[in-house]
Amino acid sequence: MKTSVICFLCLASLIVLTGCGGPRVYESELDRRPITSRLEAQDIRRTVEKMAESLIADEGVAAATAGQKPVLDIEPMKNRTAISVDMKSITDSVRTRLIRSRLFRFVDRSTAGADIAIMDEQAQLGLTNPKNAIRPGQQLAAQMYLTGSLTDITTRLGRTVDHYYKFTMILKDLRSGEIIWTDEQEIRKFARHEKLDR
Amino acid sequence: MKLFAFAACLLAISQLVGCWWYTTAGTSVVLNHDTGKSVLFEGNTTLRNRIAVTAVTYDKVASGMNRVNFQLASQVQKEIHLQYRIAWFNSEGMEIDGDSRTYRPLIVQGLDTVTVTGVANSPAAVTSRIRIREWDSSH
Repeated sequence: MKTSVICFLCLASLIVLTGCGGPRVYESELDRRPITSRLEAQDIRRTVEKMAESLIADEGVAAATAGQKPVLDIEPMKNRTAISVDMKSITDSVRTRLIRSRLFRFVDRSTAGADIAIMDEQAQLGLTNPKNAIRPGQQLAAQMYLTGSLTDITTRLGRTVDHYYKFTMILKDLRSGEIIWTDEQEIRKFARHEKLDR
Repeated sequence: MKLFAFAACLLAISQLVGCWWYTTAGTSVVLNHDTGKSVLFEGNTTLRNRIAVTAVTYDKVASGMNRVNFQLASQVQKEIHLQYRIAWFNSEGMEIDGDSRTYRPLIVQGLDTVTVTGVANSPAAVTSRIRIREWDSSH
């Protein structure tokens, strides 16, 4: 009788704990502790912050941009790993931070098609005052562009998985072809008993 | 039957432990030098005894933005796993762009001294604070 009661209580607590009452959802902080050995949101955020700080602090960049706010464009970073990462989002985040620094101006080639379509509408529909209509050929030209790559090395030993990720970013001068700035962010994470689905 | 009861209890305990593992919060120590003085606000005495902020220096990077260097010294012989976040404030004491500042991992070897650096991303940033928290280093 006593054993049956213990069994019943344990099972009841198990049912409650395993979430029969539906999923429990929490708002999480952005920089939470790692839950896998793979690339996570906090790794991307740290990388973006480090790259933006490094670029702002670099003496070579300051010398190349002295007395002006250079116009920059972005070439999305290349993903040389097997994992799926939105590389454009990373360069977009770096751009956001750099724009906030008020040291650079940015143009965006990826929206050039939409720009042309709007200008065509202004020119052809007749709704816009022709004197105010924006025409192609007046846009700023990018003087430099930001790009980079992500690489990784994965090592497995028994049930231990070791991931090494390396972000590399460069700022290149379009006119001279010179690489003005470059930096790396290395991330190494390992886990034991982690299930891999790739 | 007793074996089944024991197994069920073990499962229940493991579930409980699993839930607590995720809610373990980091502890924090905040260095405030808005007034030019280094004052430690201890959120946790354990962390205070493990890490000390031994120096704070400011300079300017070539672009004119402020840069801060915090020198941290381990007070213990074992390796400690920390995270730190440097926040910047304007001349009125309001935090600038607080949401985008991230906690960065920092592993300090026993009795070692390390320097962490932060660069402001706004010309309005004049002072900064470092917040340190300790993470589970059981791995």
